[in-house]
Amino acid sequence: MKKTSISEISDLAAQLMGKGALIAPVREEAGFNFREISDAKQVDLNFYNTIISPKSAFFPQTEDFVRYQTGKDILEATPVELNIKPAFLFGVRPCDVKSFEIMDIHFTGTGAVDPYWQKRREAAAIFGYAFDLNTPADGADFYSTLGIGAADPEGSDVFMIKKGDDLLLKAITPKGEKLLAEMSVLSDATPDDLNYFDDTVAAGRAFKTRFTCVEAKPIAKKFEDLFGNTEFWEKVSNACLSCGACTFVCPTCYCFDICDETLFGKGTRRRVWDACMFTDFTLEASGHNPRTKVYQRLRQKVCHKYSYHIRKYGPISCVGCGRCTRACPVNIDIFSIVDEAMKA
Amino acid sequence: MAISFKQIEDKLKAEAKKLLDTGTVTVVLAYGQGYDEKHPMPYAAKNAADAANIVFNEYCAANMARYLVRYPRGTKIAIAVKAADSRAVIQLIQEDKVKREDLVLLGIPVYGIKNFKTGEIIDSKTTGGLYNPVLYDILLGEEVHGQPVNSPYDVLVQYEAMDNEARWVFWKKEFDRCIRCYACRKACPMCYCDPCFIDQNKPKWGEKSPDSQGNLMYHLTRFHHLAGRCIDCGECSRACPVDIPLYLFHKKVAKECEEMFGQAAGMSIEDKPVLVNFRVDDSDKILA
Repeated sequence: MKKTSISEISDLAAQLMGKGALIAPVREEAGFNFREISDAKQVDLNFYNTIISPKSAFFPQTEDFVRYQTGKDILEATPVELNIKPAFLFGVRPCDVKSFEIMDIHFTGTGAVDPYWQKRREAAAIFGYAFDLNTPADGADFYSTLGIGAADPEGSDVFMIKKGDDLLLKAITPKGEKLLAEMSVLSDATPDDLNYFDDTVAAGRAFKTRFTCVEAKPIAKKFEDLFGNTEFWEKVSNACLSCGACTFVCPTCYCFDICDETLFGKGTRRRVWDACMFTDFTLEASGHNPRTKVYQRLRQKVCHKYSYHIRKYGPISCVGCGRCTRACPVNIDIFSIVDEAMKA
Repeated sequence: MAISFKQIEDKLKAEAKKLLDTGTVTVVLAYGQGYDEKHPMPYAAKNAADAANIVFNEYCAANMARYLVRYPRGTKIAIAVKAADSRAVIQLIQEDKVKREDLVLLGIPVYGIKNFKTGEIIDSKTTGGLYNPVLYDILLGEEVHGQPVNSPYDVLVQYEAMDNEARWVFWKKEFDRCIRCYACRKACPMCYCDPCFIDQNKPKWGEKSPDSQGNLMYHLTRFHHLAGRCIDCGECSRACPVDIPLYLFHKKVAKECEEMFGQAAGMSIEDKPVLVNFRVDDSDKILA
């Protein structure tokens, strides 16, 4: 295990930048977001969590596939080269690390491999970062409800825990081991640090967000039973504006649209995030739209995460990061809907 | 205020119960419990028992007027309105989206309402700076008088100090941060178009991907669609997950409209929206 002083974090950042792209939380107008770092001094670990999830490191909101010229033969269109370089995703909270595992199911696990996600994922090393157990969890978070600890190192290549003014870094995978060995700016941790690390991981498992722990299967079943209960869905979706804020900040929402965007004859076929909360998400070419009502769309979102996903793939497609709740303009809280459903 | 938030809540509950009990209305649009006290939610009470779930506190910033167009025409609705919200209702009446006789306006005179995301008091910064509803049937409390009345345009000082070039740079930078979640248009009581121009693809007015061109097309068009109609509730800015200060543009346009046409949006049901009305003495300033 290694350590560094938090005040010297930019030295570590600079060394990582020498090896690849460093993607870390950066303070912006509305809060923090993961961005590629251009100046090592930008790295700031004084954050709770980012507004937008780190999924955009592997699955950017816009991904260009092919460039073309209108009126020209399709064979003259050129695929956009995937320029993948090693990347370090730095300061990812345990719940967000967990989200990558869920997203892997869809982008690689089902057999239909998405090369964009896969290659970026393979080229990246994840530096997970424990929540600060000395500050209470944000009121919107519920990751412990879903069985995710505040300091779970699983899924990270290197896991980081803050100890006073120091940052402890422990290699979790061989990739992380190799990386840490190459970081000359780090010093060796003491036996005391090792104990602190293990104690924090254990304490992280006992750290509680709101709600008590839940089991996936009974929830999945409950939502299947509630599907036709329009009264329930209308009630919980009364306030919903049907905007896409919740899905765009979500670490496990993966729906996208493929668009041809052309300007003055020059076109790009690109993938753009889409949201099941948008009216035209399900609009068919015939003009028919199977989900015209707000309650139908919110029902889709909740049931996808808490019912269909469980039935098809096993895990709940939610990590309790609380971003959707924080981003919602009308304070809709997905787990309160689950809670209400279980009582219904 | 002469009365407290709690007293307003009690009055809201009592009026809602009465209106639903007597069948005067079929729904009361007010506020309900969210996941904690600081995060109340818009709430639709549909029977007398629901009325007990109504809450009102300093975080009830939401403008309920946006929900009016969701109900079929002719639905009898009671709606809780703060100052800006009442202006939205008036504007919707002017635009014939709702009828005055179908509505019972539960007026809430209030100041000190906070943005639940930041805790910041929103009076006159992102809203019109009024404390009393412009129009109401039942007033829940007493009109607020003696509070300092700030101009809703005071916050424009810094913006107006910028020249055209600087404003262009400012907005380009702001719009580049937009993630196109459309929370702004969905939170806006005046954005009721179905479909919104940006969702159309025949013709296609703007790109779907969140890059400069599409973002600029979306926001500038939306800004202009709201010219003379924005009632300065600030909901677009509060809804934005990345805090783009949309209210600055809306306030600037509102100010220009008021100067040119002598009329602010949503102040009287007798008014016509400035951009659908023609008067021979209309300002020619823009042509000069």
